[in-house]
Amino acid sequence: MKSKEEEYKEIFLAEALENHEEVNRLLTDLEKNTGNREVIDAIFRITHTLKGNALGMGFADIGEFAHVLEDLFGEVREGKLVITGDIITMLFRAVDVLGALIDALTSGKSVRRKGIQTKMEVLLKRARGEEKPDGSHLKEKQATTPEQDSEEDLKTEDDGEVKKEEKKKAENSAGKDKEKKLNEVKKAENSNEETIQEPVQPSEVVREQAKEEDQEQGEKVQVQDSKITFSDLVQVPVRKLDNLLNLVGELIIERDRIIAANSQAASEYSRLNRISSDLQYSVMDVRLVQVGFLFNKFHRVARDAAAVEKKKVNLKLTGTETEIDRNILQIISDSMIHIVRNSIGHGIELPEKRKSAGKDEVGLLELSAKSESDAVIIDIIDDGQGIDVEKVRQKIIEKGMYSKEVANQLSEDDIVMSIFEPGFSTADSVTAISGRGVGMDVVKKALDSIGGSISVYTKKGKGTTISLRLPSSMAVKGTLLFELNEETFAIPLTYTEAVVSLKKKDIHKVGKGLMSTHLGKTISVVFLRDVFSLDEELDPDEWFLHKSFDELEQEKDLHIAICAYNNRVIGFVVDKLLQRKEIVEKPLMKPVDNVKFVSGVTIMGNGNVCLVINVGGITNFVFSNSMRN
Amino acid sequence: MENAGENKEKQTNGSEGSFTRYQLIVFKQGEEEYAMHIDQIKEVVITPNITRMPQTSSYIKGVANIRGNIIAIVDLEEKFGLGKTNAEVLNHSKNFTLVIESEEFKIGLLVKEVPNTLTVTDKDIDESVNIVGDGAVDKNYIKGIVKVDKRLIILIDIYKVMSKEELGKTITAGV
Repeated sequence: MKSKEEEYKEIFLAEALENHEEVNRLLTDLEKNTGNREVIDAIFRITHTLKGNALGMGFADIGEFAHVLEDLFGEVREGKLVITGDIITMLFRAVDVLGALIDALTSGKSVRRKGIQTKMEVLLKRARGEEKPDGSHLKEKQATTPEQDSEEDLKTEDDGEVKKEEKKKAENSAGKDKEKKLNEVKKAENSNEETIQEPVQPSEVVREQAKEEDQEQGEKVQVQDSKITFSDLVQVPVRKLDNLLNLVGELIIERDRIIAANSQAASEYSRLNRISSDLQYSVMDVRLVQVGFLFNKFHRVARDAAAVEKKKVNLKLTGTETEIDRNILQIISDSMIHIVRNSIGHGIELPEKRKSAGKDEVGLLELSAKSESDAVIIDIIDDGQGIDVEKVRQKIIEKGMYSKEVANQLSEDDIVMSIFEPGFSTADSVTAISGRGVGMDVVKKALDSIGGSISVYTKKGKGTTISLRLPSSMAVKGTLLFELNEETFAIPLTYTEAVVSLKKKDIHKVGKGLMSTHLGKTISVVFLRDVFSLDEELDPDEWFLHKSFDELEQEKDLHIAICAYNNRVIGFVVDKLLQRKEIVEKPLMKPVDNVKFVSGVTIMGNGNVCLVINVGGITNFVFSNSMRN
Repeated sequence: MENAGENKEKQTNGSEGSFTRYQLIVFKQGEEEYAMHIDQIKEVVITPNITRMPQTSSYIKGVANIRGNIIAIVDLEEKFGLGKTNAEVLNHSKNFTLVIESEEFKIGLLVKEVPNTLTVTDKDIDESVNIVGDGAVDKNYIKGIVKVDKRLIILIDIYKVMSKEELGKTITAGV
């Protein structure tokens, strides 16, 4: 098993190689049309990404080099630097060096980059400043160069062609300029030669340059001798992985059906069983990525959020090796960004406030991941001021989400969970980071769509922990099958608490809905038949939830599946409860993907389609209906 | 007589230059003939077992499993107002399903008989048609009228049939 670091390095390499190839290609495009904005923007973006990734991995030389390239293109973008043929040539050299630097990560070869890097830095400075200030600027440089050089490392390389350019310039320009250029050349040349310099005469410079050029030709060949390399990773479009997963799902269903049909000869199938299970396991494994992938991107997110809010925050990551399905990670990434920004915006206090509260000025934000038997728990923990329950209570009354009487009766937990309702926000003014009131409910929806859940623990003055519970894979789910109107449906087991049988007399009409008790708690009761029979043309009859109940015979046994969602417990009345089953849930595609009561479908052993109930959707619908007074 | 004239016309055109040929799939809905470009259709299968979906328009009969893919089954006849069929009649008479598949969409159209193919040219398609319609949305899906022999075949773009508005129309009560 590879260590975490090696895996990261492998992935960085694959990405970096790709970036390098892309820049090479873009550069050839640029050469044909030096004014092409799109290409310039693209190169800027790629070098920026490369810089970030490299610095994040600790590869300082690649990072710095990419940084200079990025800055250069930044100036080009702003029109402060015009691309000429010579500059293009220099850039090509630079990209070659970049490629060599990336290769060096595996080969360990030393790469000379300081020379060309300096050339680019000089170009950059010239583009940024004006000529005159350059003079004094350079004089300063001259004074500091001795120290600089002794600091600068011994591995350097110079670009012969650019030098020629400089040489020409040195020869062509007169007087002051000449000296200026000389000093530049001197700096570059000195770093190459590692000698302590003294004011050098132009002629000497020219001679030495000629000497070095020969030396460089050899080196140049070395660097350009890069082969075409293929990385060890294969880039697979996720779509193909999804396809693979689908097929494996089908295979498992078929296998189960065949084994069930021939239960006498069960032993015959043990090999088939084993192999297909291994296959399923492997495919699910291929789709797994480390949570750290996502977590690492949060250094920047946290830093930016803190900067905007003028707060000080430290980010701590734990459990980054925990693995999770790639699709799930993708779906929650936006949600997590929002939660992190929220924690920094609302949770962590301003430094002065923290100090007066006796806390460290720098707030701590921790992202942790751990895996349980069938789930991954991701926690976002901050040591901020916690959620002000009373403030939230006021807000929901103000927003009309609940009436005053109802709101005052809600427990602390209920209040805290109401931040996930649409339209909620306690921020008095909307900042760029948080307060728009669209964040938390979108987070909740995203989690619901994958069958995850969210809970919040908060302590005033101490901090808040937001805990996300995510299924570790999107593939196989445990469900409870039931029959309704002669069709089979499935409820995810994650939401199912119990299965009971009640009689009509145990159920009472309360308001617009029905209620009963279970283990001492009051639960709502809903006849699923009523919910599904809602005609799409008409508005639901206000009392539709009572319909089946009214038609019911007194002594009939009712089969009820008790489900919990969002701290609400609801009992669904069905015709018949069937068995437990592991299924592969597929999402709904257009044109039926807007159905709120159904979260997905699965294919049964007999080839028929079975709908998977969206417990959240139904619960929300039923409750919002009955809350409306 | 007419035919001869037509043929002559075609020949003249042939000598004038090239014109694009289109392959169409022609299927019957009610008493009318409809057509689609052949590349819009993925396959034709015997209609499988349909599972009804709540909260969908009534012309969406439900979903079915076709080769491992979940396809929404649509009764165009109902949508176009050519006659409503209820569930029992459905499984016996709507024998075949035209499977339309794209990146976003997977739908199946119910038809009674296996559809035919037809090759036509530009000339045979009349695109400038103003149809007395039920508003801009519905009008868009008709791409033209194909006139071949004495038949009048309505050429449609299936993706426009299932327009965005339609897709969004589900029960939103209370949520």
